[in-house]
Amino acid sequence: MDTLLVRSARIIDRNSPFHNKKADVLIEGGVIKEIGKKIQNITAKEYESDNLHVSPGWFDMQVHFCDPGYEYKEDILSGIEAAAAGGFTGVACMPSTLPPLHNKSGIEYVVNKARGAPVDVFPVGAITHKLEGKEINEMYDMHRSGAIAFSDDKNPVQDAGVLIRALLYVKTIGCPLLLHCEDKSISNNGDINEGVVNVFLGLRATPPLSEEIMVARNIQLAGYAGSRIHFGTISSGQSVELIAAARKTGIGLSAGIAAHQIALDETHLTSFSTDLKVNPPLRTGKDIRVLKKALAENIIDVICSDHTPEDTESKMREFDTAAFGITGLETLFALCTTFLGGTLSVTEIIDKIAVNPRKILNLEVPVISEGKKANCTFFDPARKWTFKTTDIRSKSRNTPFINREFTGKPLAIYNNGIFRRGGE
Amino acid sequence: MPDLPVKKSLSVDHLLGVNDLTLEDIEIIFSTADNFKEIINRPIRKVPTLRDITIANLFFEESTRTRVSFELAEKRLSADIINFSASSSSVKKGETLLDTVRNILAMKVEMIVIRHSSPGAPHFLARHINSRVVNAGDGTHEHPTQGLLDAYSIREKLGSVKDKKVAIIGDILHSRVALSNIFCLRKLGAEVTVCGPPTLIPKFIDSLGVSVEYNLRKTLQWCDVANVLRIQLERQNIRYFPSLREYTMLFGINREILDSLDKEVIIMHPGPINRGIELSSDVADSGQSIILDQVENGVAIRMAVLYLLAGRIGYSDANAQPS
Repeated sequence: MDTLLVRSARIIDRNSPFHNKKADVLIEGGVIKEIGKKIQNITAKEYESDNLHVSPGWFDMQVHFCDPGYEYKEDILSGIEAAAAGGFTGVACMPSTLPPLHNKSGIEYVVNKARGAPVDVFPVGAITHKLEGKEINEMYDMHRSGAIAFSDDKNPVQDAGVLIRALLYVKTIGCPLLLHCEDKSISNNGDINEGVVNVFLGLRATPPLSEEIMVARNIQLAGYAGSRIHFGTISSGQSVELIAAARKTGIGLSAGIAAHQIALDETHLTSFSTDLKVNPPLRTGKDIRVLKKALAENIIDVICSDHTPEDTESKMREFDTAAFGITGLETLFALCTTFLGGTLSVTEIIDKIAVNPRKILNLEVPVISEGKKANCTFFDPARKWTFKTTDIRSKSRNTPFINREFTGKPLAIYNNGIFRRGGE
Repeated sequence: MPDLPVKKSLSVDHLLGVNDLTLEDIEIIFSTADNFKEIINRPIRKVPTLRDITIANLFFEESTRTRVSFELAEKRLSADIINFSASSSSVKKGETLLDTVRNILAMKVEMIVIRHSSPGAPHFLARHINSRVVNAGDGTHEHPTQGLLDAYSIREKLGSVKDKKVAIIGDILHSRVALSNIFCLRKLGAEVTVCGPPTLIPKFIDSLGVSVEYNLRKTLQWCDVANVLRIQLERQNIRYFPSLREYTMLFGINREILDSLDKEVIIMHPGPINRGIELSSDVADSGQSIILDQVENGVAIRMAVLYLLAGRIGYSDANAQPS
């Protein structure tokens, strides 16, 4: 295990007595041994950096590691490298693999493959067999093997009766269902948002209505079943209104957005760039303003990357046959600090990318405090840098942010006794 | 030796869509087409203008009239031609568009005319190869030469396009002809109304500066020109209206409805016509129809576009990025 003496880091952790204070942190045997001024230790490896900040290790609530089945896009080990480079010590990986993570052996495969890594990988099990939305899976068995939540990912359950049964059944386990909201009969294989841009480009459109109607439906179903649900990637302003109203009624509801949704709107699509083809689609500037406000008002709890690696063959092609998705692990934090600078404080960003995801998933939230397990991320929220292809640790490069200048950079992580520095 | 049009420069290297053109570009294309139209009505209709130029016609989607019209334009300009047709099934089996791109790069053709079922496919080509690209229809996006030739035909018939009232009738949602027509007509200062079943009109179409009307008779009473679109069942993956029979009842144009108006409306259609569905035969073949003028003007417009873009060969190769 790496022994580490961190010099003069500002601690960002609401639950720590050292919150917002600058101190040295000594980590020994994977545990925070001491926090204080000018700690002396001759054996420890020292780490210092300009404007160094440390927070509880970040957690990405929605990533795709494509393993098993699509290892040419990403595998669990390359996904872990990408997560570590992005400053994450934990991720929840979605079940849309081949075969999907819809039984115990799938869950165990992920858990075993990620064992011993500096990033904790928590599999999300599929709600229905083969993500077909028909028959519910053995959720209890998967949970015992390590599944922390259940989702049918981007093939959301269309049949309300099936979802009610899943919502009721999951109460025996206490896990939330992570729901992507899309009525497929309305989105009808749409490529981009329905709006001005889609009229100009002649591409098939997904109206925000396809999301909103499912947000409304799922709130009703969760209320009926008395179960907890989380909407992973909300994109429409009207969805936010529905969520805000529902939260007042006290139902078990939380919500997140993908970081790229606040950085890009539909007008970026005019060049037919497939790197901007995502689901849910990029919406309008107005939607972005509502989403930002909802983040500030805690109507939206979580910012995730929705990291979706795609190989060149799936992306470098005609727009309507190209795959959906952006790789996001390595740019999530930079998007937050660059695009939410005036909206959220650094502490509030950490809430959305480290604290709230773990609370929703019933995981222990790490604390920067003496005697606690060291699970932390080091970063500089003000550092200017340019994201280069050489920075990419993911196997895939489907990101629109290459050569983009950012403010705010993850620098290193410490977790499970392992210290891992990113590129500085 | 025939007189060649004075070459003026377009602001674009490719013709990907009418939306990319300036008003001046459109006017240059029209005045060049005027010259070519005169030339192709002479006894010797061929000019040696593009003699050293190779043009590949890549038709990834079925087409008869657009392909023939382009081929004729190319032949009249003395270009060398390669024809590549791939039905969608053979493309599915094997070659991706990117591979096709690489093959074209190896063949060293100067210009490409492409029709493809995917919106943006010509833009994809233009980004990855050095050749000049002409969009001959990309899915439900644009069909720029059709938009240009339709506006050109209105200009020919009515003297100008500005302030004319043009109705576009039919399936607006799936029609590249509608979109290119709207861009072209709006740039030239025409008023445009689209008319068709509400299920086949994009929700945000008014952002293009057009009006929406669901009543055919009111639309016809309003307009100077009715451009009637083909109902394209092949582009509809779900049912947008109950039956062709009912479509004809609501939006079919026949002699009876035209006779009930107190004016004479010019009838256009990009072809091929579904006779008895969107247009009855007695309307299509009547003196009010300029459908065959459109076909003739199509050749002149395509000659103009190829001629003007050929003038830009080598112009901006430094900007193109080979893959």
